[in-house]
Amino acid sequence: MENLHLFGVGLGLGLIVIGAGLGIGRLAAAAAEGIARQPEASDKITGAVNLPLFLLEGVAILGEVFALLIVLMK
Amino acid sequence: MSKAAEQSHTAGGSVLDQVGENIIHHVSNSSLDHPLIQLPHIWGIDLSVSKHVLMLWIVAVLVACSVIIPIRKYLQQDKPQPKGWMNVIEAVVKFIRDSIVQPNVGSKHVDTWAPIILTFFFFILFANGVGLLPIFDILGAFNRFILDIHAPPPGVEDHNFINSLLHGGATVTGNFNVTAGLATITFFAIMVAGSRTHGFINHWKNLAPPGLAWPVYIILIPIEIIGMFVKPFALTMRLAANMTGGHIAILAILSFMAIFADMFHSTVTGISVALFSIPMATAISGLEIIVVLVQAYVFTLLSAVFIGMAINVHH
Repeated sequence: MENLHLFGVGLGLGLIVIGAGLGIGRLAAAAAEGIARQPEASDKITGAVNLPLFLLEGVAILGEVFALLIVLMK
Repeated sequence: MSKAAEQSHTAGGSVLDQVGENIIHHVSNSSLDHPLIQLPHIWGIDLSVSKHVLMLWIVAVLVACSVIIPIRKYLQQDKPQPKGWMNVIEAVVKFIRDSIVQPNVGSKHVDTWAPIILTFFFFILFANGVGLLPIFDILGAFNRFILDIHAPPPGVEDHNFINSLLHGGATVTGNFNVTAGLATITFFAIMVAGSRTHGFINHWKNLAPPGLAWPVYIILIPIEIIGMFVKPFALTMRLAANMTGGHIAILAILSFMAIFADMFHSTVTGISVALFSIPMATAISGLEIIVVLVQAYVFTLLSAVFIGMAINVHH
């Protein structure tokens, strides 16, 4: 019972991965469809996708940091 | 990795107990009580040199020798034509200036803001990259096997300089204090950018664009002020966590060998786990190289975007 926080951390990390995967997946799908419709705009679309992609990844990594904090600080 | 030298520092316990502490020890700064070079306190601030401070200096010297000095020599020539390394630097600078600084800041201010963005990029790139090189582990192995200096038993203080270099991680940007320093520069750069373009008071008035219904302002202004602090905070945590996380992943996978060997009390298990663990650690190191480049690019891009948002307020 004293290690219940580890169970919570595991669950939380799984949820973080689901969230990040879904979000980045939707970005990639929209980008691919945009490039398919207009191959000339491929550079602009890639540039527009870059920023939200890394913001989302940053959110996932932030969550990972707090999860690690919970494990280490008990 | 010099796990034997480090395991002798944690007294007793099975491998499973020591592994977590070992990994954290390997990515964080060296102990603040036993710095590398003891320097006096000035006005209450301890100026002693810890591992990360030493790595900061090494990275600074590296950037100066590879980027700053060649550029200065190149610019002093009569009709400069880039060759070799200068070509690489020119390609990188052109890429950053034309696709990161210029679209965000606008053509009028490119020359004002390009230097700081370029400094961010080169410093973070070199700092991240140096963290991937196992220089100190090779030095430690050299110390142990060639010069035959062993780590002292736990409890005894280590006076050998090279052995003391082994404590702590080599990735400077994995320390959130370092990245907080970089983000503070961005924080003030945003304010300076807004103040220089629009005037000091107008920069703060631009937080709340005119022409909205007045109840919106009650929510908008606290959100904007919180956002002003959250954006640099996210910058620091993103860079620090990405760097530390990658190293922890590599170290954890390499620790599998020790864990499994200890769990089954046989060396054969340990060696056969190595057949799985070492290729996977190599693959993740490859991924780390991509992350190194990407994180330098992202920090630079976001700083440029925030500075651009303070200059052109029309979104």
